[in-house]
Amino acid sequence: MAMNAVARETVFALRRQIAKIEGTLAERLAAPAGASLDTGVDTDVTILRRSVTVAPHDAFLRTGAERLDAALSGGLPKAALNEIHGAETRDAGAVAGFTLALISLILRQQPRLPVLWIGTAEIFREAGFPYAKGLDACFDIEPEQLLFSEAPRLADALWIAEEAARMTALAAVILEIRGSPQRLDLTATRRLHARAQNAGRPVFLLRQAGEAEPTAAPVRLILSAAPAAPRETITGPLAGSIGRPAFTVSIGKSRTALPGQFTLEWNPDEHIFEERRAQEERAKNPVPVVPASRRGKDIAAAPGAVLAFPTVGSPAAGDQPSPRERAAHRRPRRAG
Amino acid sequence: MISHRQGNAQRIAALDERAEALHLKRGMGIADARAMHPSIDIVEADPEADRRLLEGLADWCDRYTPLVALDGIDGLFLDVTGCTHLFGGERSMLDDILSRFFQQGFDVRAGLAATPGAAWAAARFSGNHIVPGGEEEALLAPLPLAALRIEPEIRASLESVGLRTAGAVMAAPRAPLARRFGATLLLRLDQALGRLDEAVSPRLPVAPLSVERHLSDPVVLTDDIERLVRLLALTLKTDLERRGEGARTLALLLFRVDGAVSRIAVGTSRPLREPLLIQRLFHERLAALEQDIDAGYGFDLVRLSVLSAAAFDMQQSDLAGEMNDDGADIALFADRIRARLGEGAVLKPVAVESHLPERAVAVLPFSEAPQRTMPPKKPDKNIPPATVFRPERPIRLFRSPEPIEVPVTEIPEGPPVNFRWRHALYRVARAEGPERIAPEWWRQEQGQEDAPTRDYFRIEDSDGRRYWLYRQGLYDASQAAPRWFMHGIFA
Repeated sequence: MAMNAVARETVFALRRQIAKIEGTLAERLAAPAGASLDTGVDTDVTILRRSVTVAPHDAFLRTGAERLDAALSGGLPKAALNEIHGAETRDAGAVAGFTLALISLILRQQPRLPVLWIGTAEIFREAGFPYAKGLDACFDIEPEQLLFSEAPRLADALWIAEEAARMTALAAVILEIRGSPQRLDLTATRRLHARAQNAGRPVFLLRQAGEAEPTAAPVRLILSAAPAAPRETITGPLAGSIGRPAFTVSIGKSRTALPGQFTLEWNPDEHIFEERRAQEERAKNPVPVVPASRRGKDIAAAPGAVLAFPTVGSPAAGDQPSPRERAAHRRPRRAG
Repeated sequence: MISHRQGNAQRIAALDERAEALHLKRGMGIADARAMHPSIDIVEADPEADRRLLEGLADWCDRYTPLVALDGIDGLFLDVTGCTHLFGGERSMLDDILSRFFQQGFDVRAGLAATPGAAWAAARFSGNHIVPGGEEEALLAPLPLAALRIEPEIRASLESVGLRTAGAVMAAPRAPLARRFGATLLLRLDQALGRLDEAVSPRLPVAPLSVERHLSDPVVLTDDIERLVRLLALTLKTDLERRGEGARTLALLLFRVDGAVSRIAVGTSRPLREPLLIQRLFHERLAALEQDIDAGYGFDLVRLSVLSAAAFDMQQSDLAGEMNDDGADIALFADRIRARLGEGAVLKPVAVESHLPERAVAVLPFSEAPQRTMPPKKPDKNIPPATVFRPERPIRLFRSPEPIEVPVTEIPEGPPVNFRWRHALYRVARAEGPERIAPEWWRQEQGQEDAPTRDYFRIEDSDGRRYWLYRQGLYDASQAAPRWFMHGIFA
């Protein structure tokens, strides 16, 4: 991070002053954990930007993973379009799983409302059709609560999504597409976003194998699967078993957050996210649990203690994505 | 002139007046006709197209009565009982039909009588004739036997014994006639004379309710049609209220000036009678069909029919005007999507009692899925379930399992070491399983070969993605090596 904490602090202080002059409260922007803001204002207070509406306290969906919530300044906006990307189509499981976990959190507050999942015929063919049994078992979303809509063309899917986004009778709308079609441009996403804002319901735009493109969504998360921790038994972790689903979440775009990467684990029994940190994991669980498959070596040939999370591809420093994942043109984003 | 193939020769099937004037006749060979008049224009007969045209005309005749039936290849029956007063009496109705057909370019013969048989005879043998009730006998008596709608063989044998007119048959004693020529002859005779009832079976089911509006000025614009739909629905609402019903299927019939009829149907997942909502449903349908509906010179008759209705549950709103609607919004939303994109556009999963993963959840169209009337009842979490082990199921399932290449497994019954799926190689880091799922033998047909069992494995690849694979069959059971399939993806 070239931009040091002092500079950031100055920006925050200046922005707060501007807001005070303008007399508007706009966008929550919680101070990052590292930056202490002893400027006489309570740290919990939102930092402001020019905008008119004041976000109510429950406008954000708290994921429950504290660092991610802090990075997103309170969580994902509930009344907005949220983009969730997967780098490849085979990440569809992780992308859908993370989204459904979020919806499971929403449904705990609005337990009776149905969820609409819109997809193009292409993505349902390529990545599989949602399986209600699995959703029920893993995310506690009952089959009666689910509605699917399979649209032959993207234009139809967008139309359904726009119609659905304005409905308050739905808990959430998922629009799943593949690739980066032209049709889903800034205008189309802005329409979705505006409708979601009016209805106060989230719209999740899942893009499998899509490029990051300018959209109206305030938040874009990039999802990939993370190796699951082994199952916990009475005698300790069961070697070679596949435990709870885990996801690697990178913040691809957020007005308030810096790019960051987090590993979350979904607890299907408690229905909460738990964050996993590599160091803790290592400290807690120092036995080799996973063969070193990444480097292509044989299990037997792996010498010594190989850990579940090798350093390759893991966060470089702090929460930042590794250089491999951060494109050269994408400088660390300023918070504003 | 129209030709058709009869036997081995091309013969004249139909011809116009000018051809008749050249002394050509139906049934004459085409070669002979050409030899007589080399300049004649001959078109091959197309019975399919004739049929379509007749059906189109039948659709158009819906404007006079809902009971329209096809009669053979060249006739239509219209049951106008109780409809004539709407057109100012029998005579003016007949004139209206004839003049409208004439304007469309058809040469039509019509007959109107109290019985279908008499009307048939009047149309074909006496020409644009209205037969007053009770005078069927007088009409039929001088007509040839063909007017009785009897088969040619019976007609020929009747003629061979000297009975050449319908009157002669009527005068003959009945018992010997029935004995000699079969019951059909007398049946036809009695039907024509009204001694026996004859039902005209309509082409289309008759709508229990329909409202229509004749327009002096044809409408062309979709917006106008939608507005008309709303006006008609408003009328329909009072009728539905009186019956205590709501519409489940609605049809909109647009009669174009030149005779083409468009029929647009929408279905609703719960009984509906609100005009605004009906208008919105048709709005989506019309938007979807914009290309298919050609307004041409405009529509001069718009009819809205309720094809099926169901009891409408009245709901009382509280004082604040808040309705305790149980998914009515969702139902309307689903109807609109359905109206625009078709029946399968909104799907609902329904759990089925089966252990085969692909059968365990049926995905049904929204309207067919059972509606939830009670709030979802959660099983009490404190009571332990009957089986402690809850099988792991993927969150996405491929509609048809995709074959994967598995070069080697560590042990015959074990998980693969690596596999190739969609041309990409995956290394298996961890695996759980197998979970054996046997086929449902009770669904098998008699004599059908047993479907192989499947051994499912939960696989995590080296990147942490989790998949659900299965091996179909066993390694030692058959000669061929078992095949592997990718069936689902885990979160």
